[in-house]
Amino acid sequence: MHTAIRVRSLPVYLFALLLAVCWSARAEARLRVVTTLEDLAAITRSVGGERVEAFSLAKGYQDPHFVDAKPSFVLQLSRADLLIVAGLELEVGYLPPLLDQSRNAKLQPGNSGYLDASVGCEILGQPTRAVTRAMGDVHPYGNPHYWTDPENGRVIARAVAAKLSALDPEGTAVYAKNLAAFEARLDAKLQEWAAWMKPYVGTQVVTFHDSWPNFAHRFGLEIIGHVEPKPGIPPSPSHTLATINLIREQRVPVILVEPYFDTKTPKSIAERTGAKVVTLYPSVGGTDGIEDYFDLFDFDLKVLIEALGGDRP
Amino acid sequence: MTVFELLLPAFVAALILTGIHAYLGVHVVERGVIFVDLSLAQIAALGTTVAYLLGYDLHSTAAYLCSLSFTFLGAGVFAMTRVHHKTRIPQEAIIGIVYAVAAAVSMLVMSKATQETEHLKHMLVGNILSVSWPEIAKTALLYALVGAFHFIFRHRFLLISMNGEEAERRGWNVRFWDFLFYVSFGVVVTSSVAIAGVLLVFCFLIVPSVAAMLFAERLWTRLAIGWSLGAVVSAAGVMLSFELDLPTGAAIVATFGAALLLLAGVRLLLPRRTA
Repeated sequence: MHTAIRVRSLPVYLFALLLAVCWSARAEARLRVVTTLEDLAAITRSVGGERVEAFSLAKGYQDPHFVDAKPSFVLQLSRADLLIVAGLELEVGYLPPLLDQSRNAKLQPGNSGYLDASVGCEILGQPTRAVTRAMGDVHPYGNPHYWTDPENGRVIARAVAAKLSALDPEGTAVYAKNLAAFEARLDAKLQEWAAWMKPYVGTQVVTFHDSWPNFAHRFGLEIIGHVEPKPGIPPSPSHTLATINLIREQRVPVILVEPYFDTKTPKSIAERTGAKVVTLYPSVGGTDGIEDYFDLFDFDLKVLIEALGGDRP
Repeated sequence: MTVFELLLPAFVAALILTGIHAYLGVHVVERGVIFVDLSLAQIAALGTTVAYLLGYDLHSTAAYLCSLSFTFLGAGVFAMTRVHHKTRIPQEAIIGIVYAVAAAVSMLVMSKATQETEHLKHMLVGNILSVSWPEIAKTALLYALVGAFHFIFRHRFLLISMNGEEAERRGWNVRFWDFLFYVSFGVVVTSSVAIAGVLLVFCFLIVPSVAAMLFAERLWTRLAIGWSLGAVVSAAGVMLSFELDLPTGAAIVATFGAALLLLAGVRLLLPRRTA
């Protein structure tokens, strides 16, 4: 009789023990967040503070469309509580198989540990009619480089705060406080950046790829052409000629290039037109000195203003 | 700017590339080391990658010297691995291995970098439209030097390429001359790949030589056919790329393919050669 009770209550003890261990571990552990972009990781760190640790799959100096998968990515995903993606099919080339291998059901699209950061952001370049192959390299969901507009950064930060609060209700107050601080800093920075860019509003620029519409939209630049419409495929002579003549006629001062493309083609166009090739970094971590989301715009705007002949602010 | 101003440098560059590559192509085809240019280009790219990681600018002299010394290393490997009589390992196998390993090591080096290296991936994709006149002048001078070097020692190089056993019988230091051949070849390929990209350089090298072999045996006849073909195809390819609005390099490559097909058809119609 005595033994029977002990045997029967063993699972109960074990369960209670397990619960206690989990509980204490949970109180200690921080939320593990994996993001596809360093920008999303930077915003997550701002909002989550001490309660989260964020790991980005793509590094800031990599082309976010093509990321070489490493074994550590699967490990990170399998242990993660939350996955934040840029969405709009930016990661379609590498993320789905990694997600499958991670066997982490929480992170599957639509589940609790999945956040699409593009939701609610202002997305440019959405086609107004049905996309067909004939239209070439048009993105059916709009341009996926939306985080280059700091107002979209605000939207992302709010969504991240809401998601973190849902996953970790105890931290709700902390997340709200951090979000408020982030937004206050953003408001101040937006005013500062607008003041820097005031003399250059309306400047016409040519970009290497169509990666900068949100940046241009926010800071008052007008993009009038692209050097290489499709990555990796050199532009045809008539396109090159049209670009050269456009830059000459409109006296376009700068050609904006992402750091992960060779500058051979833009440089040759610059030589024939007198425009300057300017490398702008599309993401946090692109180079030394871009440590968080605010550094990104500080850095890019300073480089741009200097190239336009202004004094470095 | 007019179409003519844009296309002229590309066309002149194509002519200069034809000049040296149609000649080197004869050697390459005779030796049966078809992919040696890809392999050397990949080694050179590895050298540039290493220089870049050491902190030198991609288009600086230091980076060029580094890629050149890697090319010398490759030349040394190819000179040492002439067909091995005991094991019958074909040299093409070594060339393939060197290519794969050099490409993989570049990738490994890049993956450990803490700076932006993504554009190094585009290094072997040239854009012949972006070539500038100073670049053309520099390249022409370099190729003229290499051409002169080959002309002076033509008897050595040609006999070794066409009849290596005879050269060995004469007691020549074949490995030494092979090394010189691959070094000069590497110097040419490194700068031509930077201008035109791997695909186009491969075509300039192999297609004129192969096409000429359809019709002629004698060296100078083959060279004449190769040079004419290269010039005509370059002009046609550049024009086509403009008319049809296509990337210029790829258009020239496709034109080379079509020209070779056409010539092979003509060859079938001609009476059989009496060897």
